Amino acid sequence: MPGALSRAAAIIGAAEADEIGYPATPKTALQLHIEAIKNVSEQTGIPISRIDGVFSAGWSSQLAEHLGLRPKYIDTTSVGGCSFEMHVHHALAAIHAGIIDVALISHGENGWSARATGGRGTGRPRGAPDPWDPGQQFQAVYGVAGAPSNYAHAMTRHNYRFGSTPEDFAHIAVVTRQWAMLNPRAIMFSKETNPGGGPITVEDVQNSRVVAWPLTLLHCCLVTDYGGAVLVARPEIARSVKTKPVWIAGAGESMGHQNMLEMEDFTATSAAASAAAAYRMAGMGPEDMEMAMIYDSFTVTAGITAEMLGLAPRGEGFMLWKDGRAAPGGKFPINTNGGGLSFNHSGMYGMQLLVEAYRQLSRTAEDGVTGLPGKQVDARSCIVNGTGGSLSTTGTLILVAD
Amino acid sequence: MAYTKPIPDPDPVHRPYWEGAREGKLMLPRCTTCNRVHWYPRLLCPFCHSREIEWIEASGEGRIHTFAVQHRAFGGWADEVPFVTAYIDLHEGDRMFTVLRGVDPTKPETIRIGAKVRVEFERANDEVSIPFWRVVEE
Repeated sequence: MPGALSRAAAIIGAAEADEIGYPATPKTALQLHIEAIKNVSEQTGIPISRIDGVFSAGWSSQLAEHLGLRPKYIDTTSVGGCSFEMHVHHALAAIHAGIIDVALISHGENGWSARATGGRGTGRPRGAPDPWDPGQQFQAVYGVAGAPSNYAHAMTRHNYRFGSTPEDFAHIAVVTRQWAMLNPRAIMFSKETNPGGGPITVEDVQNSRVVAWPLTLLHCCLVTDYGGAVLVARPEIARSVKTKPVWIAGAGESMGHQNMLEMEDFTATSAAASAAAAYRMAGMGPEDMEMAMIYDSFTVTAGITAEMLGLAPRGEGFMLWKDGRAAPGGKFPINTNGGGLSFNHSGMYGMQLLVEAYRQLSRTAEDGVTGLPGKQVDARSCIVNGTGGSLSTTGTLILVAD
Repeated sequence: MAYTKPIPDPDPVHRPYWEGAREGKLMLPRCTTCNRVHWYPRLLCPFCHSREIEWIEASGEGRIHTFAVQHRAFGGWADEVPFVTAYIDLHEGDRMFTVLRGVDPTKPETIRIGAKVRVEFERANDEVSIPFWRVVEE
């Protein structure tokens, strides 16, 4: 039986910034936020002034001020790429509790433009990390820097424990690229949009430059600009807007660790716990899911997460891609926007997951701009899982079509 | 030769570890309530939440839990790529991160999870020596 919060609110719209990916003129994170917020307001017909809850990864007071809002609920949870799935969870609870009616969840990140601006316009402090932080004293002194240097250790352990191979995981990159070729907004849409775009093979993935063995470049996500915003509202409002509601049937969140030093099992994440909570709230199980949006910072992230969500047996998550089930036309579509691997990954990718899940379940995935014929799938349920940090934190949502 | 890579800046909670390292000893925190060793150092035991934590001199032995070969790095480490990073299962319990020595970063297939490793220390300056782990014979 579903829990009390199940379907207490719906996502009523999801929009992106005007320009995402690799903008010719550098953009600030704030610009990306505000463009997406204006776009979702126009899409739904909900005026910005009607927003009474503001959710973002570290930006909420700045956004509310910029928009001239006096919100009743301010949540600025910032725990990596899963923050936005957690924001939906928190918004659902706040709406169910009667505190707010319309929640804005917003993300703006100029992962690409920050290279041109010398780190300005990100909204983040620019100083060096605190040298007394345990991660600085006990990890950074050993030369790890950036996500790939950490995540590679998980792939090695998965290969050792289950007999899987990097080639098995390379299929995730290959299939995800096939989806990107149906999304004109994807960086890797075609050779015309990017020299590295268009179809790739397992050999291409394995022969690309080694970043952190066993991860080669094509096992790793992109670094781009992105702005995205969704509105979450109570059922009466969801029924009255011009867009279709997508119902939040289940939500859950958890964490295993912050620092990878504390990762107990390098082949498992807290997605098992966050998914269990979401399934319980929804009164549904993995067998009821018809598609998935799974954070793919790296191929290994997606493969392990599929196992944690109960979509594949332990050790065999990559099989969903390898046997074609996850591919366009397959029985169980995964990452239909082209993923963090080939569509867009600004640094924290959880908003991209939400926007695409909304498009698929509201049947708006083929508008010629964000999707070509063949991208819209017929799924009526979607499990969405964000992963943050170093396989650290997870937020899981079960979304269902109206 | 001067140590060109990042040198830790020990804070009060972690100081006994770095003081031990300077003398060539691997010091680990152990809870005297539940007797379990934990890493990294805490104010409360992460297993039983006791405040009663002592520092013990460890055997300096462990085994490789998992590893990766870094081909991209920054600062002083950029000059050393490729190098092998690893998580070490400590003989006394819990896990530590390191740059692995005694292995060939160009032949990762020859590095074995479960292989025995022993700690050694490299002097970074007068105040700080940094532990590294080396693969040794069984």
